[in-house]
Amino acid sequence: MLEPVELKDFFIVFFSGAMVIMAGALYSLLFAWSKLQSKPWLMVLAYLAYGILFIAVLTLGSAAHLHGYWWWLVIAMLVGYLLAPHGIWKLCVATHLIQKPTQTDDLPHSKKLQSKL
Amino acid sequence: MNNEMPWWASETFWKKTAIWVTAFMFVVLVILTLDTIPQITAGSERVPAYAVINKHIGYEFNDERNMQVPVIGGDAPLFGKKLSEEDAEALVSHGKKITQGRNCMGCHTLLGNGSYFAPDLTKAWLDPGWSSEPEREALMIAFLMNPEENARSFGSGRVMPNLHISEEEAKAVIAFLKWMSSIDTNGFPYNFTVIDKES
Amino acid sequence: MKLNHLNGGQQLAVKYYTVAIILFVAQIIFGLLSGMQYLVPDLLLGVLDFNVTRTIHINAMIVWMLYGFMGSVYWLLEEESKTEIVGLKLGNIGFWLLTTAVTIVVLVFLLIQSGPGDDFTRWFINEGREYIEAPRWADIGIVICMLIFFYNAAATFMKGTWSGISGVLVLDLVALAGIYIAGMFYTPNISIDQYWWWWVIHLWVEATWEVLVGCLMAWGLMKTLKVDRKIVTTWLYIEVALMFGSGILGLGHHYFWIGTPEYWLTIGGFFSALEPIPLVAMVVHAVYDAGARQMKGNNNPALAWLIAHAFGNFFGAGVWGFMHTLPQINLYTHGTQWSASHGHLAFFGAYATIIIAMIYIAVPYIRGQEGIGSNLPDGGWKWKWSLGLLNLGVVGMTIALLISGYEQSFIERAVGGSTWYGYFAAQIHPWFVQGMEWRMIFGLVTAVGLVLLIWDLLTIGKQKQA
Ligand code: HEC
Ligand code: HEM
Ligand code: HEM
Ligand SMILES: [Fe+2]
Repeated sequence: MLEPVELKDFFIVFFSGAMVIMAGALYSLLFAWSKLQSKPWLMVLAYLAYGILFIAVLTLGSAAHLHGYWWWLVIAMLVGYLLAPHGIWKLCVATHLIQKPTQTDDLPHSKKLQSKL
Repeated sequence: MNNEMPWWASETFWKKTAIWVTAFMFVVLVILTLDTIPQITAGSERVPAYAVINKHIGYEFNDERNMQVPVIGGDAPLFGKKLSEEDAEALVSHGKKITQGRNCMGCHTLLGNGSYFAPDLTKAWLDPGWSSEPEREALMIAFLMNPEENARSFGSGRVMPNLHISEEEAKAVIAFLKWMSSIDTNGFPYNFTVIDKES
Repeated sequence: MKLNHLNGGQQLAVKYYTVAIILFVAQIIFGLLSGMQYLVPDLLLGVLDFNVTRTIHINAMIVWMLYGFMGSVYWLLEEESKTEIVGLKLGNIGFWLLTTAVTIVVLVFLLIQSGPGDDFTRWFINEGREYIEAPRWADIGIVICMLIFFYNAAATFMKGTWSGISGVLVLDLVALAGIYIAGMFYTPNISIDQYWWWWVIHLWVEATWEVLVGCLMAWGLMKTLKVDRKIVTTWLYIEVALMFGSGILGLGHHYFWIGTPEYWLTIGGFFSALEPIPLVAMVVHAVYDAGARQMKGNNNPALAWLIAHAFGNFFGAGVWGFMHTLPQINLYTHGTQWSASHGHLAFFGAYATIIIAMIYIAVPYIRGQEGIGSNLPDGGWKWKWSLGLLNLGVVGMTIALLISGYEQSFIERAVGGSTWYGYFAAQIHPWFVQGMEWRMIFGLVTAVGLVLLIWDLLTIGKQKQA
């Protein structure tokens, strides 16, 4: 059953909705960057971004009345956005393994990257 | 460099995955479509038969579904003339063809889809702007035939242009609008105020 | 212009690109007119009413983008298939057929505009359904031209070599043309009408078009950044899986309120909430690609527009789409300026940008050069300013419409109950009116950007490089 958003919560819904996606992207960006540059401190920022996402999803969930089976959407977003950058990163590294030797020469990070798989 | 590529990163794996995911989603969509189409065919519970224009149509809050739903009432033939299902369909269909030929959707939304320059027409039949139920039909005909002279605009200055709709065409359009207002749209538009029953 | 040094497909592409730009100009002119009609209600009343200007605005957009896509495919066809195009003559015939049909449709929209409620009107004047207003004869003409285009692409690859990219591309074209047919019939039943109408609109822009630009992007990355073919192909497959995996059933976000059963609220809500995931995935991949190789592009404008595409797609489709996609909130935003805000940012950000990038990739070759150096005599101010102004203009319009839409969902929808009076209570609210004014200001910025873009395309690299 649908429980429409209440008038007073409109802004919260739009704002937290935008924050879910933006924090999701920021988290992915910082995550990939940290791995790429071997800068662990960036990873702290990445998980901070995920923390924002976490709060945004819960806020959206309560303002948009995501109860009952809609709660699964909240869970899916929390888990999905947490794991997706990990999965995509692994895919990036693994798919780039086939880069031909001549080309890998001018790929400064490729050696380091492989060790991280 | 001859690192083994893991199977889950190989081109063939993702090629197969892409094909299977697409095929699966498409099949699910086809199954859902087969289930949905009968439920939105005219004469179903959600989308009433065209002869519903012979009946009174209301829009009331339903506690169980937590939304407003159309309520089909007693006899209230449009323009005082009771029509058979075929005649009603012909009239509604003519009305819909007029809305397409004049491109009403280029200014209005129908069921919320279209353009945003003019009011949504989903429940136009039930709009309190038509004063009261006894006066409604005459006012609607007059407005559609001559929207500039009957303009309301509510201080916006925006008017509907004269689209040269004849009386007979206006009646067909109104039949279409009346029928459309009987469709169960899951509570859209929300919080709609319905026209008064008596003047 | 002499084009003999280009291959056959590329010569065709130049024609398609030219018409695309002309229609882009038409889109903007008529967009400015429709926008003005919000502020000056009497403007062209009874001459070119809002429905006429708006219809031309959005139809010009759909058609110029299709021209842009066809041009792009023709541009890369011979290189990708490693052979000559099979039907150069046929391709030319298709081009002139389509262009004649488009011209006639536009003239009829402008001069005849509407007709009585009969079948003749629908076949020859106006079908009256948003985005696919073109009369039925033109639908059939468009399908024939698409088939010619499809034959040319498929048969050329058949004669030459297939690749992963061309395979996805050709299958996607079949789907694109097939889906169009879902919109080609009449029914008195508005629910069934809109059910199939959304197949055309949604399954185009959120599934088949996304995959088509995925193919172009894959090819563009190979061209501009020399990424390995096997890698871009694998990523194209990953993207197809994610896009179709979420986008096909994401169609449900248009089936909340059109009479369709309640289970669509759930399906549409869940699957369309997943639609931003492929867009977020691309962020990780883009960072990886940018970091793992030096950017030594020889075509900075093209690269810049490809980056604009990545951002535009992410914000327009991902962020703006998600904000109003849950039924709990879409109940209030459905059919308001909210939708217009999202529509502008998404269409511009995801599609206009990449077509402009493809045109920039072609421009130096058309002039017989290898690339666009970074040492242009004038410092490249024209392409930089047009890039800036076009993006600023569209983002500005998007935010202006967002503010109007926010107010509208409040005053008209939540409080006013979407009645005739409620509608106008929202339209005369200062927030709304100011939103419409700012939309016009940023619309003019967009228009200036377009003028500069055309000037730049016509002149870039013409003088000797410093
Ligand atoms: C050029 C834009 C335009 C076109 C085309 C147009 N309308 Fe309108 N319509 C308007 C405007 C603006 C109003 C508000 C007029 C007013 O308040 O005086 C309106 C009001 C209405 C209303 C009353 C509003 C309500 O909520 O009940 C109805 C009914 C209506 N139009 C039906 C139609 C039909 C049917 C067509 C097609 C045959 C159509 N309109 C074509 C602009 C248009
Ligand atoms: C010069 C700038 C522009 C102006 C002033 C303008 C104005 C408008 C107006 C007034 C509408 C009608 C909205 C309504 O029904 O109320 C509209 C619709 C639309 N425009 Fe534009 N536009 C401009 C540029 C663009 C660009 C660059 C694009 C995309 C590439 C675009 C894409 C669209 C789309 C997709 C719609 C339909 C939206 C919907 O139905 O939700 N426009 N535009
Ligand atoms: C590049 C991709 C996309 C484009 C070009 C696009 C464009 C559009 C346009 C033009 C409309 C208005 C249609 C109309 O005229 O009625 C629309 C509606 C909508 N879009 Fe998108 N869109 C894209 C992606 C997305 C995504 C990814 C989502 C969800 C996350 C989304 C959610 C919606 C919703 C919910 C509506 C319905 C608005 C309403 O109820 O009126 N879109 N889209
Ligand atoms: Fe959609």
